[in-house]
Amino acid sequence: MIPLYGFLQGDTIGTLVLAEDDDTAQILADKVQASARLRVPTSPRVRLLYRGHAVDLDATVLQLGIQALERIDVVRETP
Amino acid sequence: MLKRSSWLDAARKLDWEFSYVREEDVFPEIASGKPWLFHDAWKNWDEPFRTTYAEYVKMQCAKGEALGAVREAVGKPEDFEKLPAEWRSVLKLHAATLPLAEFAAVVGNLRGARFGRDSAWRTMATLGALDELRHTQIPLSLMHSLVRADSQFDWTHRLYHSNNWVAIAARHLADELLLASNAVEFAIGTHYVFETGFTNLQFVALATLARDVGDKMFEAMVHSIQSDEARHAQIGLPVLEIAMQHDRAYAQYLLDKWFWRSFLLFAVVTGFSMDYLTPVEHRARSFKEFMQEWVVEQYLQSIESLGLEKPWYWDTFLSAVENYHHMVYASAYTYRASVWFDFVVPGPRERAWLKSKYPSTWDMYDPIWQSITDRWKASDIGNDFAVHGTAIVTFCDMCQLVLSGGTPEKNTANTLAYGGKKYIFCSGPCRWIFTQEPHRYQEHKDVVKRVLAGEAPPNLIALLTRYFGLDYATWGRDAFRGDYPFIQRGPW
Repeated sequence: MIPLYGFLQGDTIGTLVLAEDDDTAQILADKVQASARLRVPTSPRVRLLYRGHAVDLDATVLQLGIQALERIDVVRETP
Repeated sequence: MLKRSSWLDAARKLDWEFSYVREEDVFPEIASGKPWLFHDAWKNWDEPFRTTYAEYVKMQCAKGEALGAVREAVGKPEDFEKLPAEWRSVLKLHAATLPLAEFAAVVGNLRGARFGRDSAWRTMATLGALDELRHTQIPLSLMHSLVRADSQFDWTHRLYHSNNWVAIAARHLADELLLASNAVEFAIGTHYVFETGFTNLQFVALATLARDVGDKMFEAMVHSIQSDEARHAQIGLPVLEIAMQHDRAYAQYLLDKWFWRSFLLFAVVTGFSMDYLTPVEHRARSFKEFMQEWVVEQYLQSIESLGLEKPWYWDTFLSAVENYHHMVYASAYTYRASVWFDFVVPGPRERAWLKSKYPSTWDMYDPIWQSITDRWKASDIGNDFAVHGTAIVTFCDMCQLVLSGGTPEKNTANTLAYGGKKYIFCSGPCRWIFTQEPHRYQEHKDVVKRVLAGEAPPNLIALLTRYFGLDYATWGRDAFRGDYPFIQRGPW
């Protein structure tokens, strides 16, 4: 279990997200959105940023080398 | 009989040369602070009030009697029950955060009373300690007695003895500023920055709102405290003037550090009170407008007249005045069971008022309140947990407040690897403060680190009840149970 700081664009606070090694970036993004959905409606199309760069949504936490207690950002795709 | 002016300095400003001990042993730097200077550099230290102990006792006695009369007239639980529901939360917020912080300030003042570098400073600090003891006792006495009307007032005594997240943040500030600071840092951080720079927000602006709301007891209490603060806050300026003559960079550092830390506290306590918990018909001005007049203009004028610079993060600060309390309030509303006071949803009228006061930023917050309003529409009245967060939220390793820096579009949280550990900060200034004195802060664990270390439970309800010290009867709710005229439900 890897604890991460998740931030959703449009939200007012960061939430703690617990990731598994084999979670894809899409799953991570879903977890961040789920944590914030009371304040920010879920968006179907998002990007996930790690260390400021968009990552492949199909890549796993292990493949992306995401480290514990790092920041991840979920940004809504504009239509 | 001697005239007052003939004997006054023998009573309040009487220093002497030590014959069998060194001055640096009497006033060691660790307790007196730096720049460490021989007394010759401090000998002209003075303040304008020049109060004697006899005058002090007489004056405080009269103020105590006046406050007692107000309490008799308007301080009963039945008076409290006539106040607007949202304003009662202003009282609960202040009741819990104020008294024991003031008690910590007794210790800070007593350190000044022993280790201040001039006798006039030590005399005033002695009276300052008595002031702060009074400021502990008054709100404890006035507000805890309201527990008969509302059990949330039990937190008047409880907060600082708990591991509630607000208590952790408040202790982190109060312990450093009031309990652990040396006499110089205390004088500059507390008297000059916190008291002179910020407390007019409370003593003038919030007192005005209290009067308009009809809360005469709170207004009287704040006014009674204000006259004490105005006196002992005078310690700060002459200490700063002498410190900056000998170590300007350090004086600037203390100003910048304590300005940011003070702002975050006032943004939460006063910002919530002014922009959300005061009924909109009683709001004269916004938190931003009060900040502009009472802090931004006066503080800038004051430091520039001394030849000091505004804090390096000034642009960040100005942005935070527009955003920070909105960020924290919306977050805290959705985690209201984690505190001991109730919250309200801003309705269309309040949101229009906020838009008019924050034209450049409110559009980022309005959708959040619409989302919360929509959730209430789909939920039963009183079902608070249907409109409540469940994830664990995150905290700053410096201020210990939630990671709500920046704006909804760009949260300014940032991470740092230091000494084999990882830290996260809500903002650039919090990171900067940490990196200036990491040894002072690096071992302190925020709530998330306590959860990850197994010291606090990861389940939200367990965290609230077993760690934050709350229970179902007293934790924060929506003040109107979600029953607002602007929320129409069903028929389902």
